[in-house]
Amino acid sequence: MDLVLQSAQTMIASEKKAEHITIVGEFFYIGLVIVILFALMAWAKQGFSKKTFTNPMAKAFEQLYLFIQNLCVGTIGPHGGKYIPMIMTFWMVIFTSNVLGLFFPHTPTASLSFNLAMALIAVGYVQYEGIRSNGLIGHFSHFAGPKLPLMMIPITLMIFVIEIVSEVMKNVSLSLRLFGNIHGGHEAVTAMNKLGESVFVPVGAFLLPVKILTCVVQALIFSLLTCVYLSLVTHHEDDHGHDTAGAH
Amino acid sequence: MQGSVFGIGLGLAALGVGIGLGLIGYGAMQGMARQPEAIGKLQVNMLIALAFVELVFLLTVFLAPAAVNVGIQTVAK
Repeated sequence: MDLVLQSAQTMIASEKKAEHITIVGEFFYIGLVIVILFALMAWAKQGFSKKTFTNPMAKAFEQLYLFIQNLCVGTIGPHGGKYIPMIMTFWMVIFTSNVLGLFFPHTPTASLSFNLAMALIAVGYVQYEGIRSNGLIGHFSHFAGPKLPLMMIPITLMIFVIEIVSEVMKNVSLSLRLFGNIHGGHEAVTAMNKLGESVFVPVGAFLLPVKILTCVVQALIFSLLTCVYLSLVTHHEDDHGHDTAGAH
Repeated sequence: MQGSVFGIGLGLAALGVGIGLGLIGYGAMQGMARQPEAIGKLQVNMLIALAFVELVFLLTVFLAPAAVNVGIQTVAK
């Protein structure tokens, strides 16, 4: 426990040391992401009244929507369509702020607090959907593992505790992965720029292709993992359907 | 001293994670070559596995400074 606490302190200290970003600066970048997103969506909305989309931005958003729809329906199952808005929001916010990080010294996804907030929203939404589809008791009995005889109650309790811990760790893993990739990318560019400082060559610029790949992959991973968590808690009704289908 | 310990630890972590990522890529490539129609499913699963392996390295990066600090403190005591 001491170790974890100390690592958190070191992390916060290193974050404070690396960039002197205040809460106002943080909100500036978050606002920038929101402004860019709303501008793009307002542009994409221009051609909605026509029969076919002639607006290039509308076409691009249509492709993105199809991609997210494939992701949701492919991962969650036939009832995955109703989770598209949430997943698409995550994808767009994360992708936009990742791309913003290529041009600006700081970006919302490069700060741990923004990522943790997003991970809390994602995991909280997963719990909400689980309770909505299985009921409160059904959702929490889902954590207790398979139904065991009465003698095995200690084991069921242990499984329950471990499942709850793993549920909490989902927040940590989602946020740390995004933070580590984006923040680490910035740190790597800074370190490589220092290498070429004496000859005035920005060596860190050669990392840009990798960083562009990271932008897409991290946005995809966050939405994909949210989809997987959703499919884990909402698969019950479907499971019975599959069983009966298999029995036929 | 502290920096070198940190560096060796990071190198070892990167080595292990590199091997893990390579194994995942190897398996996914083989699967894709054998069954091109399953590329979509394979890619998604491959990305999930890649993310989990990558997380191990990131956790190492975040925990290593603290671990080195605690180790030095215990040695000093």
